[in-house]
Amino acid sequence: MTPRWDIFCKVVDNLGDIGVCWRLARLLHDEHGLAVRLWVDDLAAHQRICPGVVICDSQVVSGIEVRHWPDDFSMATAGQVAEVVIDAFGCGLPAAYLAAMPADAVWVNLEYLSAEPWVAACHGLHSRLPDCAAPRRFFFPGFTPHTGGLMREHDLVARRQRFEDAGAASAFLATLGVPADARLKVLLFCYPSVCLPTLIEAMDEGPAPVLLLIPEGAVAQSVLAQLAAKPRRGFVEARAIPFVPQESFDELLWSMDVNIVRGEDSFVRAQWAAKPFVWHIYPQEGGAHLAKLEAFMARYTAASDPQSNLKPWSDFNLAWNEGTLTAAHWHALKAALPALSHHAQDWATRLSTLPELTSALVQFCAKPV
Amino acid sequence: MKQAQEVRVGNVIMQGKDPMVILKAEYNKSGRNAAVVKMKMKSLLQGGVTETVLRADDKVELVMLDRKEVTYSYFADPLYVFMDAEYNQFEVEGENMGDALNYLQDGLPCEVVFYEGRAISVELPNSVVREIVYTEPAVRGDTSGKVMKPAKIDTGFELPVPAFCEIGDKIEIDTRTGEYRSRVK
Repeated sequence: MTPRWDIFCKVVDNLGDIGVCWRLARLLHDEHGLAVRLWVDDLAAHQRICPGVVICDSQVVSGIEVRHWPDDFSMATAGQVAEVVIDAFGCGLPAAYLAAMPADAVWVNLEYLSAEPWVAACHGLHSRLPDCAAPRRFFFPGFTPHTGGLMREHDLVARRQRFEDAGAASAFLATLGVPADARLKVLLFCYPSVCLPTLIEAMDEGPAPVLLLIPEGAVAQSVLAQLAAKPRRGFVEARAIPFVPQESFDELLWSMDVNIVRGEDSFVRAQWAAKPFVWHIYPQEGGAHLAKLEAFMARYTAASDPQSNLKPWSDFNLAWNEGTLTAAHWHALKAALPALSHHAQDWATRLSTLPELTSALVQFCAKPV
Repeated sequence: MKQAQEVRVGNVIMQGKDPMVILKAEYNKSGRNAAVVKMKMKSLLQGGVTETVLRADDKVELVMLDRKEVTYSYFADPLYVFMDAEYNQFEVEGENMGDALNYLQDGLPCEVVFYEGRAISVELPNSVVREIVYTEPAVRGDTSGKVMKPAKIDTGFELPVPAFCEIGDKIEIDTRTGEYRSRVK
C-alpha cells in the first residue's frame, strides 16, 4: 500500500511557505509515487503559483490532494492521520490532528534552509512533546552531505541544458510579452527595499542597457513609479510581468542574465539556474538574517576558483541586505558577471552531488527513531 | 510548563517518560524569527546521554527540583564537591557540570540541584566576574566595542571580548550564553 503523507502549510506572508510546500508535494508524488495530501490555510496564495488551484475545501491538482486547512480543523472531515506528517517550517499541527497521532506516526518538522554550521548538528535529531505520543523529528535542508540537501527534480539539470542548447529563452520571454534583445536581462524578485531607487539609478547610468523584469506587486509598482517620475537617460527599462506558475519559474530564471531573488524556494532555484544571482534574504529581528547571509556567502565563495574575484558579488549581497547599496556596487557586480557566470555553473554542478532533499526525506522517514 | 528557550543547564525536563537533566543548551535562530534549541541531556533513570532539538517556543514539562545554596569547594576526581552554610558536602559528577566548568573557582556561590535526594547538577548565577589572564594587546584607537578578539580567563575558558580589553581587566560574563557583557571598573 502506498504510504500516505500529509503536509501542513501555513502561509505566513509572501509565497515562500507555499512555494516550498508545493514543490515538496509535487516531488514526493511525481518522483517517489507517494499519496500526498497538502493542507494549506491560504489557497489564494497557492493559486498565485499554481493557477489550477481553486478556492474550495478539497480538490486534486496534479495528482496531489489539496485541502483547505480551516481554523476549525476537525478529524471528522480530515479522516485518518497519515503515515508521515510534515510540519512545514514548524507551523504547528492542528490540535485535533496532534491528539489523534499514534505513537508510531512519523512526524517531521521541515525546517528553514540555512548554510550555518550548526544546522548539520541539529539535522535528524528528535524531541518529544507533552501533548503528543509520537516523537517529532527535525529535518534541515542544507548545503552539505550532513544535512537534508536541496530539492531537485531528477531531470532538472538536463532540462536546463536542453533549454539553453535550444536557445529557448526568446520563445519563453515572448510568452510574457518580453522582447528577446541584447540588453542585460535582470529579474527583480525581491522584497521591498530601500536599495531599489539606488539600483535603478545605477542601472540608468549605463553604459550597457538593462531590461528589468519584475513580477507584479509592490516592488514593480514602486520601480515603475520611480522611472516615470523624472526624465531618464534611457539605459534601463522596467517591465512588470505576471506571476508565472511554479513549473515555469525555472525557465524565467534560465532566460535571465542576473536573478535577484528572495526567500528560500526562489533562492534555491536561482542556484540551480546556474546564473549569477543576488539573494534578498528574509529580514529577521536583530539582524539574524545577516549571519545567515554571511554563512551562505562563505560557502559559495569558498568553492570558487582562486583566480575568480567574487568580492563584488559578496559586497553587493551584503550592501543590498544591509540597505547600504551604492551605484558602485552595481557597476562592480556588472563587471564581474563573466566570473560570476562561470562560478554559478560550477556551484550548480557541485550542488548536484549533494543529497536530493525529497530522496533524503523519504529515507529519513523510513528509519525508526 | 516552560518554553524550551527558557530551559537552562541543570534543569530537568521530561522527554516522554524520562526525566532528563540538561547538560548543554544551544539556541539558534532558524528562519523568519523562529529559533531552535539543541540540548544535550542525560537520563536520570538510565544515565544515557542523548541530544535533542526543540523549537524555542515549544512547551516542555519542567521537573521541579530541590535546590540548595552552596559554594564550590574542591575537585575530587571525577566529582566536584560543594559545601553549604552548615558544612554539608554535595558531590556532582563532572559530566553533569556542563558549562559551569568554564567559570568554576574556589568559593563560587551557586546552587546544587537535587533529584530524588541526589545532587545532579549545578546552576550558576546569570553572570560572573572574571579576570582576563591573556589576550592580545589592545588596538589603539578602537574603542567602539564592535571589534572583538579572543581572551582567556583563569579557568582556561576563551571568549570574544572587545578589542580595548587588556590582561588584568575584570569582565562580566553571561554564564547562560558564555558572552562578554561589560568591563568591570
